[in-house]
Amino acid sequence: MDLARTFQDLLYGLGVAASPPNLMVAVVGLLLGTAIGVLPGLGGTNGVALLLPLTFHLNPTAAIILLSSVYWGAIFGGAITSILFRIPGEPWSVATMFDGCPLAKQGKPGTALTAAFTSSFIGALVAIVLFTFFAPPLAEVALKFGPPENFAVLLLAFGTIAGLEGGDPVKALLMTFLGLLLATVGFDIVSGSPRMTFGSVSLQSGVNFIIIAIGLFGLGEILLSVEERLQIEGMRARLSFREVWETWKLFPRYVWTLLRSSLLGFWIGVLPGTGATPASFMSYGIARQFSRRGSRFGTGEVEGVIAPETAAHAAGIGALLPMVTLGIPGSPTAAVMLAGFFIWGLNPGPLLFQENREFVWGLIGSMYLGNVIGVLVVLTLVPAFAAIVRVPFAILAPLITILCSIGAYAVNNQVLDLWIMLGSGVAGYFFKKLGYPLAPLVVALVLGDMTEQAFRQSLIMGQGSPTIFFTRPIAAFFVVLAVLIFLLPFVRNLTRKVRGPAVPAEAPGAAGS
Amino acid sequence: MRRAELVFAAGLVVAGLVFLQEALRLPTGWTPSGPGPGFFPFWLATGFTLTGLVVLARTWKASHDPTKSFAPPGAWKRVLVVFLPMVGVVAFLHTLGIYLGGGLYLAAYARFVGRHRWPLVLAVSIGVPLVLFFVFERWFVMPLPKGTVLEWWLYGRR
Repeated sequence: MDLARTFQDLLYGLGVAASPPNLMVAVVGLLLGTAIGVLPGLGGTNGVALLLPLTFHLNPTAAIILLSSVYWGAIFGGAITSILFRIPGEPWSVATMFDGCPLAKQGKPGTALTAAFTSSFIGALVAIVLFTFFAPPLAEVALKFGPPENFAVLLLAFGTIAGLEGGDPVKALLMTFLGLLLATVGFDIVSGSPRMTFGSVSLQSGVNFIIIAIGLFGLGEILLSVEERLQIEGMRARLSFREVWETWKLFPRYVWTLLRSSLLGFWIGVLPGTGATPASFMSYGIARQFSRRGSRFGTGEVEGVIAPETAAHAAGIGALLPMVTLGIPGSPTAAVMLAGFFIWGLNPGPLLFQENREFVWGLIGSMYLGNVIGVLVVLTLVPAFAAIVRVPFAILAPLITILCSIGAYAVNNQVLDLWIMLGSGVAGYFFKKLGYPLAPLVVALVLGDMTEQAFRQSLIMGQGSPTIFFTRPIAAFFVVLAVLIFLLPFVRNLTRKVRGPAVPAEAPGAAGS
Repeated sequence: MRRAELVFAAGLVVAGLVFLQEALRLPTGWTPSGPGPGFFPFWLATGFTLTGLVVLARTWKASHDPTKSFAPPGAWKRVLVVFLPMVGVVAFLHTLGIYLGGGLYLAAYARFVGRHRWPLVLAVSIGVPLVLFFVFERWFVMPLPKGTVLEWWLYGRR
């Protein structure tokens, strides 16, 4: 690799991105993206798809800068409603909710938001650097990943998530089964036959996890808070930029988490068909396993906000890599952008770097600039966002309910989804009261389809023999790693029992509810 | 508390059996195109039912703790006051739509539960749906259920 040449190209790209019209396009895209991220039901994918027709009037460089800026903005913005109201604005911000919302409830919404935005930014930065210098070789490695490897990576995700939220492992397992079961509802991708639909036509398109998540977390939270009459309390903390600074001072402590989450997120993003959502869950799970304060995850740990946000943003960038270098989208949003490539008359692939130098390096340059501008924009808005929680409860509660309904409806435009959301809300209320952890359910629901598909395709490749997971080196490596990580907490418990409790056991998370 | 736990766990087991029955209607074994569509659902439903039984058995064995109650006194009423109107909004979605229904819900809750003053109640319950309407319908061109009433008012009789 010619480093000097890459630097030269990069400088050129920064120049392209910093030209006033492109810079303006980037700012507009970021603001729009943040708004799209905040509004439930409007996702980054929808946002990019809605803006695609607008880009026909722009030159390709400005067009890709606009679309990618919307995407960055949506990644930043998705965290806001998750942290403040437990309504995931975006699928990848569900994991941010686990610790972000308890933090906000403890009167530190500013800390949670700052941590989310800043780690998003750091994840993005690490990923962009990787993108700049290693795009072509990484894309080749990613192509070696077939169904067995993908299954192994997903297994790793489940390994890290087992026992998430602490508490009762049997109930966690139960919820994982439930999530995977709900994921099977709808058309079977391999045979094409509808299944687990109980005869309902509306269910044939499947149960979207965002609807369940909105019900379980958003509505469930409202029901719990009215019951305890606490309302959304403790949110009257002072809100100022000092909180931003105070949060930043915590960051050096989490260098490892940041680096690990960035690399993990980037790589998951590069793999075709995955994207920011699984990356954020895996990163959260792994951080929980490795953190010294892992048992307190779910009760408002800053690290629990940092890990998923870093990975989500790194994955968002990673997903663009195979798209630019090979023409294979790494995520649904990237797929929509890819459609744009063809409309603008570009052919993605290895030749793009040579034939459309301005476009490729302009895009890379705008990733740097866009994320710097993005983090500055959202950070200046932290006090404003945090102030939202001061709205009186009797207004906030119905408002959240309405936003939940809009978000759930917008996914498929069908009224049945609203009933599913209401049902999930009630279920979430009971689950929470009776100590059934919600996180494994949502994670299993998200990863379920992918896992089953990878598993079945692998078995077809191996003609029914599961040895295929061990005869391919990359797959074998991840399977072994997944098993080891899965066993880690049990081993830790054992050694603790043998050595006796050296450290007094920390109080298990009551999660303030 | 223990009774609620028992009933809920039993409910999960029943749900598991229902899932199992639904899964068994599909081929669960090896088919010419790999594992059949029922393979995953069958084993998942089995696992779900079994873990449900474990939870049920453990709750059965656990001793009754009279100090723990399922919900604080008066909680049911407060929960229903917030939940039933939600159901109402969804039930009348066809007629009222999300904007009118949502506005009414907001107004009623803010006034009768929050005891906020009328000017504030009206400002919020008219302002919020208006803002939502412009954001979703106009800017993002994302049609939400407007309901027959609003559609009649906006576009005239059809």
